[in-house]
Amino acid sequence: MKNNDFRIGIDVGGTFTDLVLVDGRTNRASFGKELTSHDDPSRSMLQGLQRLLDANGIAWTDVGNIVHATTLVTNAIIERKGAKVGLITTRGFRDVLEIGNETRYELYDLFFEKPAPLVSRQLRQEVSERIGVNGDVITPLDEDDVAAATEVLREYGVEAVAVCLMHGYRNPSHEKRIAAQLRDLLPGVPVTLSSDIAPVIREYERANTASGNAYVQPVVEQYLTELETGLSHRGFDGAVHLMLSAGGLTTLGTAKKQPIHLIESGPAAGAIAAGYFSRLTDTPNLISFDMGGTTAKMCLLRDGEPERSSEFEAARVQRFKKGSGLPLKVPVIDLIEIGAGGGSIARVDGMGLLKVGPESASSTPGPVCYNRGGTEPTVTDSDLVLGYLSPDYFLGGELKLDLAAVHQAIGDRLAAPLGMDVSSAAAGVHRIVNETMASATRMYLTERGEDPSRYTLLAFGGAGPVHAYGLAKSLGIAKIVVPPGAGVMSALGLLTAAPACDVARSYISDLSAVDWNIVNRLFADMEGEASALLVAAGVSKEEIVLTRSADMRFIGQGFEIPTVLPEGKLGPDLLADIEARFIHDYAVRFGRRVDGVGVEALTWRLTASIPRREAQLAFATSGQGGDARKGQRRAYFEGKGFIDCAVFERSKLAAGATIAGPAIIEERESTIVAGPNTFISVDGHFNVVIEIRETE
Amino acid sequence: MSLTSNSAINGVNLEILWSRLISIADEAATALRRTAFSTIVRESNDFGVTILDENAAAVAENTIGVPAFLGVLPRAVKSLLQEIPIDEWEEGDCIVTNDPWMGAGHLPDLVMASPIFLQGQLVGFSATVAHLPDIGGVIFSADCRDFFEEGTRILPTKFMAAGNENPEVARFIRGNVRLPDMVLRDIYAQVTAHRVVAQGVQKFLGKSGFSKLSSISQALHQRAEMAMRAAIAKMPDGEYRSVVTADGYDDKQTEIHCCVRIEGSNLTVDYTGTSPQIDRGLNSVFNYTYAYTVYPLKCVLDPVTPHNDGSYRSVTVNAPLGSILNPHFPAPCNARQLTGQLLAGAIYKCLAQIVPDRIVAESGTAPTLRAVFNGADDSGKRFSQMLMCSGGMGASAHRDGHACTPFPTNTGSGSIEAFEGLAPLLVRRKELVCGSGGEGKHRGGLGQEVEIEVIGSAPVNMSLMADRIVNPAEGLQGGGTGQPVRVSLASGRTLHPKARTTLLPGDRLTLRYGDGGGFGNPAERSEGNIRSDIKNGYATTNRMQPRDRSDEKR
Repeated sequence: MKNNDFRIGIDVGGTFTDLVLVDGRTNRASFGKELTSHDDPSRSMLQGLQRLLDANGIAWTDVGNIVHATTLVTNAIIERKGAKVGLITTRGFRDVLEIGNETRYELYDLFFEKPAPLVSRQLRQEVSERIGVNGDVITPLDEDDVAAATEVLREYGVEAVAVCLMHGYRNPSHEKRIAAQLRDLLPGVPVTLSSDIAPVIREYERANTASGNAYVQPVVEQYLTELETGLSHRGFDGAVHLMLSAGGLTTLGTAKKQPIHLIESGPAAGAIAAGYFSRLTDTPNLISFDMGGTTAKMCLLRDGEPERSSEFEAARVQRFKKGSGLPLKVPVIDLIEIGAGGGSIARVDGMGLLKVGPESASSTPGPVCYNRGGTEPTVTDSDLVLGYLSPDYFLGGELKLDLAAVHQAIGDRLAAPLGMDVSSAAAGVHRIVNETMASATRMYLTERGEDPSRYTLLAFGGAGPVHAYGLAKSLGIAKIVVPPGAGVMSALGLLTAAPACDVARSYISDLSAVDWNIVNRLFADMEGEASALLVAAGVSKEEIVLTRSADMRFIGQGFEIPTVLPEGKLGPDLLADIEARFIHDYAVRFGRRVDGVGVEALTWRLTASIPRREAQLAFATSGQGGDARKGQRRAYFEGKGFIDCAVFERSKLAAGATIAGPAIIEERESTIVAGPNTFISVDGHFNVVIEIRETE
Repeated sequence: MSLTSNSAINGVNLEILWSRLISIADEAATALRRTAFSTIVRESNDFGVTILDENAAAVAENTIGVPAFLGVLPRAVKSLLQEIPIDEWEEGDCIVTNDPWMGAGHLPDLVMASPIFLQGQLVGFSATVAHLPDIGGVIFSADCRDFFEEGTRILPTKFMAAGNENPEVARFIRGNVRLPDMVLRDIYAQVTAHRVVAQGVQKFLGKSGFSKLSSISQALHQRAEMAMRAAIAKMPDGEYRSVVTADGYDDKQTEIHCCVRIEGSNLTVDYTGTSPQIDRGLNSVFNYTYAYTVYPLKCVLDPVTPHNDGSYRSVTVNAPLGSILNPHFPAPCNARQLTGQLLAGAIYKCLAQIVPDRIVAESGTAPTLRAVFNGADDSGKRFSQMLMCSGGMGASAHRDGHACTPFPTNTGSGSIEAFEGLAPLLVRRKELVCGSGGEGKHRGGLGQEVEIEVIGSAPVNMSLMADRIVNPAEGLQGGGTGQPVRVSLASGRTLHPKARTTLLPGDRLTLRYGDGGGFGNPAERSEGNIRSDIKNGYATTNRMQPRDRSDEKR
């Protein structure tokens, strides 16, 4: 008798493919990890799936649902391995994609690089037409021009076409007619319209988004089709869903049409998992902190919901430099990425200052302690010297760490030029990397009108739990939560997410002069579009919850705040309410209000989702019983030097256990460090909770 | 966690203290940008934030600033202290001035300074500068003969006194500007930034255990000075000279004479021989000259170390009093960018003689080409918009110049769709100019052409501030000259490049932003680069010729 109760989340990352299997009857979760096969990620994925099913004695037919996050889209853009794309634009504007925003993202580097446009110049074709700022047709579309442009694109053998016309977000009629012509003239070649994929003002960002979607479409289409076939060959007959950048799930069909919405698929899943733990631990205001080998990612959650943004910068030429990438108008979970990870390299600069990152030793050659040829001391090396990591229990003991080599490297390269001993230099590396993350976090929260000290830190990733204590102290945070399954958080998030869909339309108007008929029509249109997508994902129409918002600002300002709109039919009677909501949100961010200025709305947004049906997961790796205390070692803490620390094995800690810090709690993929004056407890779901008792 | 617990300042805690102070300045800059109303602040980032110790020495500045303000704020705060004695500065004061000689070189830039107190003791200052959307007088233009035509001058005065608005000052400003609401709201954006700095510094001192900012500023200054000196010392001693010619006003071209003198770890830039000041708004007040002298030097010598008062102790700038680079009060100076932004080219022409691989050739947007449009739309709503596009950047030993990229300034163009929403103007085309860019082993960056049509039924006032029409951007090391700037009307009516004029309904204006200069011998250009130029239509050897394509098929 076949059952459909098993669900699987798969996060295909750059290094590892993480898998989580949940039995819907018991909510028991088990994990799998596979090295990602770069030539064909679906191979490692299917292999990992098979292994996980075998280990749990489950048949393919028992699996009802597979949810997938992929780095395919982001990698295709970074590595420039997408399709040959043609772009059709308004006459006079084909260089928009190349000219960009005309700024230097790096003020002092005379030789900085700019990202190359996704569509090369000869494949950018212009047609006579022009729509004005109010949507009026100034120059009618010349269909002969479209035919000629199409002929050129055919000669070049383009595999996909993007169309982006001036003010096409305001009046899509010309773009739609071009699409119809392209269907006749270039049958089988996928077409992306800017007015479909990103119907918002700003021609450069919109053209980038349309071109980006076209650029990855053939690659994603092929990958997903092969995946579908591979799964059905093995007997799987359930549903496959994909994680969108904004944290919702979508179907294969929609993903193939709008693949650009998968660009932040993996990181979004991590934030969704943080939302799950936020609700599980009843901690509504949370900063999720994911620190791995190369980067740290922070995401702000208010009331258990991760922050969202409507733009994202893809494929930065300099990974951590804002402005060095391709700006896209796509809904994403709003998180920041900092060049700080276990592999970040520490150096003393020409002025005798200690600098850490953003260069990383990555996995090859890796930190000095891996003994794989790394010569430059890293954050992980310092953490080893400071006693936070055990030389014998890294990755559960699979990798022996070479402490002597680290002492030598830190001594020669850091301690000597700084005029310090080895442990002070290592402590310096640890503090500086924490400070780098703290200042980026402070800035990120300040921009959103928040004070970090009112938040709880949710730490995961290999290095997150090692650095959470220092980071929390620097931010004035009093509580840290380290969830179980910290090594497969994104995959977990896939199983706690629900189908959702974000759509937007531009209609710029002074709020007091808004034509509410237009707005209600836009929302009706968006509701139709969103419901159709969700119904296709297997959601019943009654379940759908709609949230409407508008990006608003004071007339004359340049920074919009998304403001949730009241329910029901919108009209002039709700004007005061809507305005008050915006002014409240503004005052929260900037600590003051502006009087006597009108408010304008620019973009109207609709989020369609279904209520979460999340269950409380039980982890196979938690609460295994036995004596959790495994020994003691000396670890370094600011202001105390090296002090004795009890060391525990996480999987053996019982729910309800309490420990007085300082303490070190080890698990296979990470180590939790809690300094003096902390109180540690294990809650009923096996989360480790650290309360920092005083901040000195 | 007390940062002084390690007793002495060392390479670890100094790095932490420094980055904390910079992040306070950055937080304040973010607050300023997001609460400002004018596009010039919020889109073009035309503002700066500096944190100073209680001796008015800069300790940290915001990261992504505009070069025009480098080193200006510490000089401005020192001037303010001369005008208003320190015992008259109270907690919550915001003292303002837009005097070009004390501040940033022209009236639209408003400098604001506040003292920071901790437990009743002066511990430092915050200072900001921002380009106001209007300052009265004529609109932003180059052609005034008299400084007093250029706008309203505010001598140092308290805009905020002990945390409260000084109503008379606010009223005076309101009465003298075209956009009183926007101007006052932008000034309040600066006030917000000052509050962020004060709170940040107080918290910083509380946490670090220092009693005031000067307790660490000396160490910060030393490190910044050391880095700069080390870089200068690596360059050969000697005197290196250059001359850059600008179009000037009408038939009066101006010349910048530049001599870079290196002696050990000291560097002097001497502008002796530069043209005398002129009776149009092209004069670059010394503070602006200083900023645009140290900025290009910093890019070459030490692009990495954050700025503070120590950064330029090794650099001396001499500009003869009474010259266009150091005019006497009250010389007109509104369009001082047309002179000051040429300095990078003059300095790099000198440095090309010793470190050719560390500089760039002249840029098409040094100085910027600006058109300011002002009037009322058909519904009677007033507008004032400036198009902030750029020409090509100069080439270097390492690469072709970037197309349409500002240098030495860094103001972005923004979206044309957004621009069209703010003024009754239609942009007919905005495209790269092919077959341009100074020739060279590395080609100068391509400029662009932008064609703008007046689509309202009322005439539009326009002020043009253009140079490099007669004297385009020069190449270096054998590289060629870029194509010049051009401004023209489809009607054939000639335009004065540095004057105010009226555009009529239906008029079509074409602005041709200049190219960057090339670098190195054109014969050494690689096959790959030549092929790519032809493939992409950057070069004219293929069938694609520049043509006015917006006119066909209408």
